Amino acid sequence: MTDPNQYLRLQLGDTSFLLPSSSGFTIEQRENLVTNKSPEGNVAAWRVVQATRLPAYCLDATLRVTRRHLWHRAVFLDTLPQAVGLAVDEVQLLPRAETAISPFTPPGLPPTRLGHLFSGAWVTGHRAMLVFEPKALAAYLQSLGEE
Amino acid sequence: MKKPRAGPRLHSLEVPLDGMTLIVPSAVVAEVINPLTLAPVPFSQPWLKGVMGWRTLAVPVISFEALVGMPEPASPAAGKIVIFYPLNGRSDWEFYGMFATAEPRPQALNHSEPVATGSELPDLPYIAAGLKVGGKLMLIPDLEAMKKVFYPA
Repeated sequence: MTDPNQYLRLQLGDTSFLLPSSSGFTIEQRENLVTNKSPEGNVAAWRVVQATRLPAYCLDATLRVTRRHLWHRAVFLDTLPQAVGLAVDEVQLLPRAETAISPFTPPGLPPTRLGHLFSGAWVTGHRAMLVFEPKALAAYLQSLGEE
Repeated sequence: MKKPRAGPRLHSLEVPLDGMTLIVPSAVVAEVINPLTLAPVPFSQPWLKGVMGWRTLAVPVISFEALVGMPEPASPAAGKIVIFYPLNGRSDWEFYGMFATAEPRPQALNHSEPVATGSELPDLPYIAAGLKVGGKLMLIPDLEAMKKVFYPA
């Protein structure tokens, strides 16, 4: 069981982002997923649940779709109408005492219909690691579709 | 060119940018720091250059040149980051940073500085007015207009 104040560190290439554990998620090993063998399309792999295919996307550090091959797990966000996944190079549940999150809203227009993709940052010295806003992240992933 | 009456001194900072100079009250500036590595913010506006940690806060850093549609300096790392207090009415954690091409310089204005006329001002958004300080045009940023673009309703 996870603490609502805990965060998952998701590594995408050379960059890491945090996901609040309160958002609800499932971590799947790559070998339990059906890999998209076609070079076409945005989906990296699918998790098959009772004949439903839940897509997982592979994103780079700028959150654009990429077809990196060195990912090991996918984190599926519990969201409606169905879960949607993000393939990650590494995932780590950070101890609560380790992360103090500062509020952060990027200035400017939000990029998704549910607002900004980030709602906070973990600041250590001059370094800031962005914290995903789970609903906006899920909306963004769902907007990627299958193509 | 209008010449306003002399009055009490207003302590200000001259903020050098690429191709223009801003002047702001010293009271709106929290600190000036050396540039450091920023964390990029995916899908942000082109004028938002990234976010950095400062005094336990996450502070976005902007390029004013990019905000007004001018070319950006090739190497912002050669200048400074000016950290501004939150804009009027915003939360106390909403500091923001702005790249400057060099160390800002203090200026004590006494209200005798000529106000630039419309024809002397560049045709740029987010400029409220201009002053001629020692014969040099300094632009006063329109903080209210910046607030509207930073935090659209």
